[in-house]
Amino acid sequence: MWQRRAFLKAAGAGFAASLLPRQAMALERSELVFASSVQTSSGGFGAVLLGERGDLIASIDLPDRGHDITISREAGRGVVFARQPGTFAVVFDPAGREAPVTLTCIEGRHFFGHGVFSPDGGLLYATESDFEAAQGVIGIYDASDSYRRIGEFPTYGTGPHEMLLMPDGVTFVVANGGIETHPDYGRAELNLDTMDPSVVFVDRRDGKLVGQLRLDAGLHQLSIRHMAIDMRGRVWFGCQYRGAAGDSPQLVGYATMDGDIRLIELPRDTLLDLRNYVGSVAVSRDGARVAVSSPEGNLLVAIHAEGTRPVLVETLRNGCGLAADDTGFVATSGLGEMIGIDGADRSPKTFEFQFDNHMLRV
Amino acid sequence: MRNWLVAVMMALVGPALAQTATPGTVLDAAVEQVIRPGMAAFETSAEGLETAVGALCTTPSTQTLAAAQDSFAQAAVAYGQIEFIRIGPLMDDNRVDRLLFFPDRKGIGLRQVQAILAEQDASAIDPATIASKSIAIQGFGSLEFVLYGTGFEDLATDAGAFRCQYGAAIAGNIAAIAGELVAGWNAPDGVAEHLMRPAAEYADYRTPVEALEELVGLVSHGIEATRDTRIKPFIASDGAAAKPKQALFWRSGLTMAMVGANIEGMRKLIEMSGVAREVEEKDKALDNSIAFEFSNAERALALITLPVEQAVADPKQTQALNYLVLVTGSLQALVGEQLSLALGLSVGFSSLDGD
Repeated sequence: MWQRRAFLKAAGAGFAASLLPRQAMALERSELVFASSVQTSSGGFGAVLLGERGDLIASIDLPDRGHDITISREAGRGVVFARQPGTFAVVFDPAGREAPVTLTCIEGRHFFGHGVFSPDGGLLYATESDFEAAQGVIGIYDASDSYRRIGEFPTYGTGPHEMLLMPDGVTFVVANGGIETHPDYGRAELNLDTMDPSVVFVDRRDGKLVGQLRLDAGLHQLSIRHMAIDMRGRVWFGCQYRGAAGDSPQLVGYATMDGDIRLIELPRDTLLDLRNYVGSVAVSRDGARVAVSSPEGNLLVAIHAEGTRPVLVETLRNGCGLAADDTGFVATSGLGEMIGIDGADRSPKTFEFQFDNHMLRV
Repeated sequence: MRNWLVAVMMALVGPALAQTATPGTVLDAAVEQVIRPGMAAFETSAEGLETAVGALCTTPSTQTLAAAQDSFAQAAVAYGQIEFIRIGPLMDDNRVDRLLFFPDRKGIGLRQVQAILAEQDASAIDPATIASKSIAIQGFGSLEFVLYGTGFEDLATDAGAFRCQYGAAIAGNIAAIAGELVAGWNAPDGVAEHLMRPAAEYADYRTPVEALEELVGLVSHGIEATRDTRIKPFIASDGAAAKPKQALFWRSGLTMAMVGANIEGMRKLIEMSGVAREVEEKDKALDNSIAFEFSNAERALALITLPVEQAVADPKQTQALNYLVLVTGSLQALVGEQLSLALGLSVGFSSLDGD
């Protein structure tokens, strides 16, 4: 847990533009801290840290739209990654002692908006695109050397999206969405006919492929994008379907390090409500429940991980961000709302900014 | 005289514009007045293309070659008006890529087409097998190379017999796909029915709101695709030189005609469906704002008269190209954000472009 007092210092270190007295009080009371990329009401982009009750603790400006955030207590740093096909990542000190530093991708690469730290905080890893080769890579940055890029590993697929570190601390799991894009053509998807999504496990020490899992060949247009790991070490994933709208394939499943991959059966109504799109996946604090969101379908679904069945379905307009809190999940929306679901004890709150797709619990 | 005509037209058009549409009438008009006629027009021109290339093969001459090229332009532009309708039959069986594999970043299509011509690959001129060959060799991109690429002059003589047969097979394939699009949009219990009469039991469109979201999304994404794949890749930016050979159809000089067709198709869908008029009083100005920006785009297009290779070297035409990038951005925001919001559709920061 971040030190509450450390956040207070941020006000004097140029980290936040200003901390109002009531925000300072919020910080004093805060237990949990959430982080998310946002768009401000004036159209600017930034990232925010929120207290347990959703009080704004600190914010940083971003040069363009951010996506996911990763934080390492060991490194004492957080990183906001540019949304694809962005080329920046902003490293910030959540304690506000030092000014944020902006990293830029090397020539020929762009970020996908996700990344993780090594367990000791010494290295930062990010999913990136080698867009000329249409191959995904994991960029490796040395935290002890101004986040210099020191190398890369392949992701063994195209269009990698979210990456996580498995509980063993040495294996990455990467969702290769399978979609080829190129900065010359904006967000146009260039290979819908030959998409080949997969979940891969990659050894953090040498980049070797531990295992690669694919769904049935008939589901090659089912882009695997976001993940979370449950109490049994199963990697839950959510997909986005690029085929005909009426096909409505299942969108949520899990993969294991011993080579199992499967989609779970969501009831038809729930599935149709997801509109072929899962925007984020989170696991509850005890690892027993999984939540998925669809900003397209305005839907949040909590799933009992063991029973692989939904236990709660709730609507949130343009809801996408999800993070565990003590008892349930916090969900945020592109319209600036923050609510609690599935046992979370909190009242809805509306902000002046719009939340991006992901909410991190620090 | 002109004023009098305008007054009469205003009187005729005014009430129609002013009347409040409902989701049902919007969806009906979209399908019956825009999508189905657009598909039918594409089929007609594709059949014309098949006939014209067939005539070129039977009677090779500069006249029949010119007629085939003319038919190509007509069919391409007819497709340009509907290619943004990326739902239903266009998304099945890879039809969208089979009709036009673009952008072809690695030049796969060109290499394969050149190999077919060099090796006189008999399987490529068989109408029965061309559809199952590489998606990159059976659509407009390949036919453009056949009709306008290096060696096209051979088509006017017997020396181009194989090249012509390959062209005829592609034209036949395009016509066949066009026929499938028409059939798909007219099929009972197909995408048209679902879009016009959304129902809880359908997987694709269960409510009028979902159907409207699809319509508005088609235009929003279509404008983005036109800008990002048909304009921006070839104009100079950020200190990088222009790359006119990255433009679609630079050989035939149809680059901007296709952009114009895209814009016209999307304008038709917005205007004839009346979707931007189905908003509350406070948002009534949106319809005009969208029409105004479409007109700005069309005015800019009219200024770009040179082939793209020359247009990117001409200051005035370059300015018009840059302006098109801006105005398509503005259109995307008007349709994808403001209109969606005004209609109460599911849009917002998190779902605008997916991730």
